[in-house]
Amino acid sequence: MQRETRIANIILGALSALSLLLLSLPLSTPVRSFKAGAGYLLDPLAYHGEAGYGRIAGLPDRIRGLLQADIENQGLRAELKRGEWLATTVSSLSLENDRLRGALVLKAPAGRSPAWVHVMERDPVHWYRSLVVDAGSDRGVSLNDPVLGPREGRLVAVGRVVDVRPNTSTVLLLTDELSAAAAYLSSGTLEGLVQGQDGPRLRMNYLNAESRLSEGDSVYTSPTSATFPPDVLIGLVAKVNARDPFLTFQSVEIAPAADASSLQELIILRAKPPEGESKPPVYTPVFPAIVPAPKAPAASVHISSTPPVLNPEEAQ
Amino acid sequence: MIGFLRGTVIFFGAMFLQWWWNTHLAYWGAAPQFLLVLTILIAARRGPVLGMLAGFGWGLYLDVARAELFGASALTLTLAAYFVGVARRQVDLRAPGPLAATTFLCTLAAFVGLGLIGLTFTKSFEWSSWIAVIMTPFLNAVVVTVASLAWDARRDR
Repeated sequence: MQRETRIANIILGALSALSLLLLSLPLSTPVRSFKAGAGYLLDPLAYHGEAGYGRIAGLPDRIRGLLQADIENQGLRAELKRGEWLATTVSSLSLENDRLRGALVLKAPAGRSPAWVHVMERDPVHWYRSLVVDAGSDRGVSLNDPVLGPREGRLVAVGRVVDVRPNTSTVLLLTDELSAAAAYLSSGTLEGLVQGQDGPRLRMNYLNAESRLSEGDSVYTSPTSATFPPDVLIGLVAKVNARDPFLTFQSVEIAPAADASSLQELIILRAKPPEGESKPPVYTPVFPAIVPAPKAPAASVHISSTPPVLNPEEAQ
Repeated sequence: MIGFLRGTVIFFGAMFLQWWWNTHLAYWGAAPQFLLVLTILIAARRGPVLGMLAGFGWGLYLDVARAELFGASALTLTLAAYFVGVARRQVDLRAPGPLAATTFLCTLAAFVGLGLIGLTFTKSFEWSSWIAVIMTPFLNAVVVTVASLAWDARRDR
């Protein structure tokens, strides 16, 4: 203990003397140099400490910024997806708008109550047989109502309603082998029976054996058709079949005007609209029609207001 | 060797801590004087010799930043370590209470001592703000208590 006290006293004296010496010295060049040296030795501590602290202190802000950037990034990605979806929707709606605008200028045959419907589904096994539309008895659709479709600014024959459910209906296409419709050729008003073949083409039978037929003739529904209003385009003669000496008539192949694979909107000519449905407003196009409707080849269409009766000839 | 390295780390770490706290966490001049507190703690636990050497070094570090009175802090911390080393023979400075009280008094004495040194060598009493003079002894007492508890806990391990 005595030894420690003695050492402590000595060190106290030495350090105190040194301190007093430093204090008593004016801030002359040697003292300034010493201070500068000590500052040079110790300043890096403060300098790097400040730099390190600055980095550490800025870390929460950077992390917060990173998190915010990540959140914004996710939001923008979602926005981008919504934008892409919206663009796709707008594109689809634009196409539909074009179609519908073209269809609006069409004039449905008089005497019937037209109803625009959308195609819901097709029979994947029998593509040319039938399709389902989104209107049923709720909209006044009834059996054997004729179904037309827009094609290049005019209405063409598509088929007839064969099944009516509350909200949907099944349309039997003209291309179905069970379909048949009385028709005539534009060249000579020759009448015949257009029948489906379960394929892309139709066949028109019972044409006069002596008549001269040519490809490219238009085929229209006949006034004798029990299902369709008269003078509705069915298609064009694609091929004149070779005459069969054992038959008393000729036949031709018809390319139907309505493409079963591209139909999206159809018009059903209802016998009468459902109760409470007001008449559709008269459409006045703001813009000129995209495709001007060609003039009908025949006179004005007239349909009896009485419900159609299935023609036994057509029913086969 | 490990003890030397630990001492070196503590020596420079305390300097850094003092600088960092004074730069970023001192309000109205009130901040704990870590170097004075550690000087007192070392003198109380390890004796006045080591306390004086450490206090002198830390005092020089404090004096570097001072425009005048180069050596005042070195002298003050050296004297504080010496008196604590002497006092530990009479008072049980291992207990937190006496140690905190000693630190409290030493802090006030250090303020007065610095003022007197200034009065002696520059003819002006070196005076800190009232807030610093009032608050710093309490802060130092708290810090020395925490440091001594940490010291004891480490020794118990």
